[in-house]
Amino acid sequence: MTGVHYAYPDADHEVLTGVDLSVDAGQVVGIVGASGAGKTTLAKSIAGFIPHSEGGELTGSVVVDGLKVADATLAQVVSRVGLVTQNPFNQISGAKYTVREEIAFGLENLGVPRDEMSERVDAVGTRLGIRELFERSPYALSGGQMQLVAIASMMIMAPRVLVMDEPTSQLDPSGSRLVFDIVNGLADDGTAVVIFEHKLELLREHADVLHVLADGVIARSGSAREVLADPRTDEWGVGSTRFTRAARRAIEQKLLPATTALPVSLEDAKAVFSK
Amino acid sequence: MSTLYLDRPSPIHRLNPITKLIGVLAIILLVFALPYWWAPLAILVLVVVPAALLARVGGRLLLVGGAILVPLLLVVAIGQGFFNTRGETILFSIGSFDFALEGVLFAAAVGGRTAVLVTAAMLLLLTTHPGKLLSALSQNGMPPKMAYVISSTLQMLPAFRTRADSIILAQRSRGLKTRGNPIRRFAVLIPLLSPLILGVFVDVDERSTAMEARAFASTGPRTALEIVKDPVGEKVARWVVMLLAVGALVVSFMGLYPEMSWPL
Amino acid sequence: MTDIDKPADPHRTRNNIFIIAGTVVVIATYLYLILAQPAVVDENFNLNGTGAIIPLAGYVIGALLIAVGAINRLPTTTLVLVPVAILINIVVGQITASLGLPLYLDSIGTILVGVVAGPAAGAVTGGLSNVIWGLTLSPLALPFAIVAIVIGALAGWAARIGVFRTYWAPPIAGIVTGIIAALASSPISAFIFGGATGGGTGAIVQAFQAFGNSLLASTTLQGLLSDPLDKLITFTIVMLILLALPSRFKQRFPFVRQYNVLPGMKKKASTPAA
Repeated sequence: MTGVHYAYPDADHEVLTGVDLSVDAGQVVGIVGASGAGKTTLAKSIAGFIPHSEGGELTGSVVVDGLKVADATLAQVVSRVGLVTQNPFNQISGAKYTVREEIAFGLENLGVPRDEMSERVDAVGTRLGIRELFERSPYALSGGQMQLVAIASMMIMAPRVLVMDEPTSQLDPSGSRLVFDIVNGLADDGTAVVIFEHKLELLREHADVLHVLADGVIARSGSAREVLADPRTDEWGVGSTRFTRAARRAIEQKLLPATTALPVSLEDAKAVFSK
Repeated sequence: MSTLYLDRPSPIHRLNPITKLIGVLAIILLVFALPYWWAPLAILVLVVVPAALLARVGGRLLLVGGAILVPLLLVVAIGQGFFNTRGETILFSIGSFDFALEGVLFAAAVGGRTAVLVTAAMLLLLTTHPGKLLSALSQNGMPPKMAYVISSTLQMLPAFRTRADSIILAQRSRGLKTRGNPIRRFAVLIPLLSPLILGVFVDVDERSTAMEARAFASTGPRTALEIVKDPVGEKVARWVVMLLAVGALVVSFMGLYPEMSWPL
Repeated sequence: MTDIDKPADPHRTRNNIFIIAGTVVVIATYLYLILAQPAVVDENFNLNGTGAIIPLAGYVIGALLIAVGAINRLPTTTLVLVPVAILINIVVGQITASLGLPLYLDSIGTILVGVVAGPAAGAVTGGLSNVIWGLTLSPLALPFAIVAIVIGALAGWAARIGVFRTYWAPPIAGIVTGIIAALASSPISAFIFGGATGGGTGAIVQAFQAFGNSLLASTTLQGLLSDPLDKLITFTIVMLILLALPSRFKQRFPFVRQYNVLPGMKKKASTPAA
C-alpha cells in the first residue's frame, strides 16, 4: 500500500496520514503502535473493509496480489485477504450449529462444491488440531478454542494475505503461542501474514519485519530486533520488552555503559548483563 | 438449547423438517376448513396427540402447551359462559349471572382452534432441532440473511438470559427493589436495561467485518456442507397431504359441507 | 460507494416487488376483515372457516413477503444489529413481565433499530422478533408478526421526518404508533383467535364483550387500553437511550447521518445513501 490517507465519515481529522507498507508472500509482518494510533483502521484498510463497508475518504492505493482494492468488489477482496480480529465471540457467525459447518460457512457463501468443501474443512481442522471440536456448538467453546475456529474459518478461504488484529488479546499465554505457531506455519506455505499485536516478545520471536505505526504513519520499520531496541519505542507508545526495560534501568543506575545496545530477548540480555 | 427441542429417537424426529412443517400447515388448514365446532377437538385427539405420543414428547407438549392454553381457555370459557349474548340453555347461576351452555360451546369452538394451532406448531418445535430446521429451510429458498438472524439470535439467547438474570440479581443485592408499586418497579428497569442495550452498539464493526470477511454479502449461488435428507417418499407424502388439506379448504369455500346443527 | 454497500442492488426491483406485494396482501386482508367482519361462529356453533383462514393466511404471507424483501435490502453492518436487538426485545419483555408491570416493553430493540437504521431494518427486527418469540415461547406470536413489522417501520419513518431531533415528539410518535398497532392487531385477535390470545388480555376482551361490545370492538378497545401507553413509554426509553449513548456509536449509522435523525446533529446537505 502506498500513500494511504483515511478519515472516517464525519470525523474532522484523518486517522491514517500517509501509510506506505509492503508485504511479501511468506512474510510475517508485525505492526505495533499505541492504542488509538490507527491499528484497527490500518488492519481494515489492508483487508479491504475500508472504504467498502465504512465509507469515508480513502486516498492512496492498496494493492493486494495485483488487485487494486478500491476498484474491486468486496467479494473479490475477501477471497484474497482474510481478517482475524480480537474478540472470538464476535467472529462466530451464529449462522451454524456445529464447528464443522461454522468453518465451512465462508466457502458455502462462495458456492464451493460440497466435496471440495468437506476436504478443505477436514484439512484445516487437522492442521489446527480442532477436529475433536467439529460436532460441538461454536458457542460452547472456550475463548481460545473459539479463536482457533475463527482462524480456521479464515484459513479455509486460502487467502494470499491474512490480516490479524490483536488475535491473542483475549487468549492466555499458551493460546497466544499456539496462534503464533500457526502464523509461522502459514507463512512457510507462502501466505503473507500481517499481525497487529502488543505482545512484543512474541513478535520478536515470530515476525520477520516490524513496523511502528504512530500518528497515522509508519514511524519506523526494520527487523524486530532493530525496532524493539530503538530508544523511541516508549515515545511511540509501543512499550518495550522486559529485557529492554531492565537494561534501561541498569543504564540509568550506571550499572551498564550508556552506549550499550538495548537487549530485546533473554539471550541478548544474558550477553549484555554478563559483561 | 433455547427452543423447545427434545432429542428423542423417534420416526417423527427423523422426518425432514419441511415435511413436518407441511404437516403442521395441513393440520392448520384442516382445522379452519372443517366448520364443525367439534372439529378442532377431533383433530387434537386423532392427529396431534397420537403424533406427540409417537414422537415421545407427549408429556412436554402437555406441560408447555397447557401453560399457554389453560389460562386462555379458562378465561374464554368463563367469560363466554356468563356473557355470551346467545346464552339460552342455563347450566347454573351465580347471583344474577347465568352461565349458559352456548357460551361454553363458543369457547370450545374458538379455543379449540387456538389449541390446535398452538399444539401443532409445538409438535414441530419439540421434534425438530432448530439448526436442522433452518438448514432445511435455507436449502428450500429461505434467504441466507434471514437464516443468519434467526439462528444467531437463538444461539445467543441462553447467554443473554443468563446476563439478564445476573443483572437482576446484582441490582437486587444492591438494594434495588423489584417489588413495590409500578412506578418504582419501572424506575428499577432503567439501570437493568443500559448494559444490555450497549451490547447492540459495541462490537457492531467487529461482527460485521467477521461476516463480510467470510463473503456473507456475496450474491452468487451458495452451497451447503450438510444436506438435510429429503427422501422421495416424503416429497410425495407432502404433496398428497397438502392437496388433501387444500381440497378440504376448497370444499369449505364452496360451502359444500353439510350443515349440522348442535349437538352435531 | 461500491457494490458492497448495496449488496441487494441487482435484486433491488425484486425486493421492492416483495415488499409492495406483501403490503398489498396485508392491506387487502385488513380491509376484508373490517368491511366484511366475518362471524367467528354461526348460529349453529359451526365455525366460520373461511373467515379465519383468510386473515391467518393473508397476514402470515404478507408479513413473510415484506420481511424477505426488507431483509435483502439491509447491508451486513445493519444486519448484525438485528439479532442483539431481538434479544433485547425478548429479555426486556420477560423482565417486564417478571416484574409484574402492566406493560409489554417488548419492542425497545425494534424501535431502537428503526431509529438508527431505518424503516426496513426496524420492520425486519420486529417481524423476526415475533418469529423468535414464536419459536421459543409461544407460537401464538407468529400471526402478530405483521404488527411488529408495522411498529418497526413506523419508528424508522418517525426518525426520518425528524421526530427524534426533538425531546417532545418521541412520546407523541409513541402514542400514534400504539394506536396504529392496536388497530392492526385487533382483527387478528378477534377473527383468528376469537379473542382468545392470553389470560390477562383475554379477560379484558371478555369484560368489554360483557358490556355488549362486538368481538372486534372489544379486542380494539383492549389494544387501545395498553398499546399507546406501552409505546409512549418505549419511545421515551429509546429517546433516553439515544441521548445517553456516546456519539461515536450513533455517528456510525449511515441512516442517522443521512437524515440528521438525532438532536444537535449538525445540519448538512443529505449525502447519498452511504
